[in-house]
Amino acid sequence: MLTRRDTLVGGLCALAFPHIEAALAAQLSYALSALEVAPNTYVVIGKREYFTMANGGDIVNVAFIDTQDGAVVIDTGSSKRYGLALRQLVERTVGKDIVRVYNTHHHPDHFLGNQAFDPSAIASTEQVSKNIKSEGEMLAENLYRLLGDWMRGTHAVAPSVVVAEGEEKFGGHRFELIELKGHTSSDLAILDKNTGILFAGDLAFLDRAPTTPHANLSDWQESLDALSKVPHKLLIPGHGDPDSEGRAIDQTRDYLAWLSKTFEQALNNGLDMTEVMSVPIPKRFESVALARKELERSVSHLYPRLEDRLLPYIGQGESQGL
Amino acid sequence: MKTVIAILAAAFLLPGAARADVEEDPLRSVMWSSMVGILKGVSEGEIVFDDAVSVVAPAVAENQMEVPVTVNATKLAAVEKIVVVTDFNPIHHVLTYEPVDAAPYISFRVKVEQATPIRAAVLTKDGTWHVGGVLVDAAGGGCTAPALSRGRDDWVSHLAEVRAKIWRYADDRDARLRVKISHPMDTGLADGIPAFFMRTLEVKAPDQKILARLDIRQPVSEHPTFTLKPHLAMTADYLQLQGRDTDGNLVDVKVPAPHATSSSTLFH
Repeated sequence: MLTRRDTLVGGLCALAFPHIEAALAAQLSYALSALEVAPNTYVVIGKREYFTMANGGDIVNVAFIDTQDGAVVIDTGSSKRYGLALRQLVERTVGKDIVRVYNTHHHPDHFLGNQAFDPSAIASTEQVSKNIKSEGEMLAENLYRLLGDWMRGTHAVAPSVVVAEGEEKFGGHRFELIELKGHTSSDLAILDKNTGILFAGDLAFLDRAPTTPHANLSDWQESLDALSKVPHKLLIPGHGDPDSEGRAIDQTRDYLAWLSKTFEQALNNGLDMTEVMSVPIPKRFESVALARKELERSVSHLYPRLEDRLLPYIGQGESQGL
Repeated sequence: MKTVIAILAAAFLLPGAARADVEEDPLRSVMWSSMVGILKGVSEGEIVFDDAVSVVAPAVAENQMEVPVTVNATKLAAVEKIVVVTDFNPIHHVLTYEPVDAAPYISFRVKVEQATPIRAAVLTKDGTWHVGGVLVDAAGGGCTAPALSRGRDDWVSHLAEVRAKIWRYADDRDARLRVKISHPMDTGLADGIPAFFMRTLEVKAPDQKILARLDIRQPVSEHPTFTLKPHLAMTADYLQLQGRDTDGNLVDVKVPAPHATSSSTLFH
C-alpha cells in the first residue's frame, strides 16, 4: 500500500535521482477486487470518474464468469497494466484458464487490457474489431496523454475471433450475444441465460453520465428499447452499480432523450456551442456523476452535425472554376 | 506607481518577459510579447487586461479541430475591432471582427495545435486595447492535420454552401445571425495541401449598409460557423452575406429575417 507520505518522499527522490523514477513506476498498481453478484459471476466495479492520473483509468466495469471449462471475461480495461491485474484476479478467483474474452465495443477503457490475454480467446463483432484496427492506436495515444505511466507498454490489440448474433456455450453456460448500436457503431450486449445476468456494456450507464464520442442518439435509444425487452434479473452497466430495478436502462434513456431534445431546442433558439454547454442540468440528473463535463463533450460531438441538419440551407457560393 | 515598480521589477527579474508599457499577462504565457507585437501592428495604443471582455471556451478541447469560443465585449462602448489570437498556434491570428453596426459579440470555432491561451483584444475608439482570454488544454494536432473534407470525394460540390438563420426579438435591437459555410479551411500546414480558406465575410442591410465585417484566417475551423448580433432595422426583411475565399470563390446570399419573437424563448 502506497501512502501519501511514501509518494511525497518518492517524489523528492525522483527529483534528485531520475533513475529512481522507473522503480517508482512499478508501484503504480490497480487495487482490483471482484464483487460476486451471483454464484460464479463477478464484477469489477470501476470508479464513476473520468480518466485521471489518480485513478489510472480504473473507471469501467468488467466482469467474469466461472464456468466448468474456464473463465469467460467481459471487457479488459484501460491499459496493459489493468489487463494484467485483471487476469491475475480472474485466475486467483476462478483457478482455471480463461477460455473467452469479449470486447463489448471499441472504447479504450473496454479493450486496451487485451494484451494481457491469449489473443486466440479474444472475440468481438466484426465491426468492433474493425473499429479497434482503425482507431485503436489513436485512442491509446490519447490515454497516454491522460494517464501517463499507467499506460506503459500498452498498444491496441484487435480481437481475433469474430462473433455475430447468436449463442456461445462455455462449460454449461449459454451466452446470448446481442449486437446493437448507438453508443458506437457496434455495441455487444451479452445475456448469460443460466443466471439471467445482462452485461450491457456502455449501452447502459447508471449514475454516471453517458458518453457520446461515437454516438448516434436515435440508434442508441432504439437499442435501449430492444435491451429493455430482453428478460433479465440483473443488469451490469458499463459504468455504475449493478442494477436489478431497471434504473440503468431508464436513466440512460431519460438522459439521452433530454440531451437530444435540449440540443434541438437550443438549435432552434439560435444558441451556439458555448451557450449549449452551459444550459441548466435537470434536478433528476443530480446523482449522475460528470453530467456537466459530459454535456460539454456531447456538444462537441453532436451539435455541429445537428447544425448541418437543422440550420436552413440558403444557397451556394459561386465557384471560380475549381 | 506600485504597478510601475512591479513591472520594472518583473522586467529585470525575467529578461524579455515584458515590455515596460504592457501589464503582466494574467495567463502567464511566454508568447504574450509576440501577441503584443501583433496588436501593435494593427494599432499602437495602450493594452489593458479587462474583465469587460469575456472569452468563453471549454477548459479542455474535446475536439482540437473545432474548439467553440464566444467573445462578448458588450460591456464596452465604441468598439471598433475585435482581434482574436492564439499564443501557441503556428498561425496566431484567428480573425478580426468589426461590428460596424452590431453588438461586439461573436461566436466561432478554432483549431488549436496544442494547449494555448485564446485571447480577444478589443480596440475601442479611444485607441485602447482591452484584452480578455482563457486557457484551453488540448491533445494536439488541430492545425497541421488535414481537414476532414479531404477524406471525402464530394467536398468540392458542397464548397461554399451556406446554412444560416436569423432570430429577431421584439424587445432587443440586436438580432441574432447564425451562419455556417462549407469550406475545408486548409491551413497550408498539412503535408501537400496548400492554404485555402474563407478570407472575408460581410453582413449587409438591404440598403447595402455594412453591419459587420469579418477578416478570417486559417485557424478558424473547417466549415466556419459564426454567431453574430447585427442591429436589424424593423423594416429589413433580409440580411445579405457576402464573402470570398483565398481562391476568389464568392459567397453572396440573402438570409430572410423573420418576424420578431420574444427573447424569453432563449434558454437564459
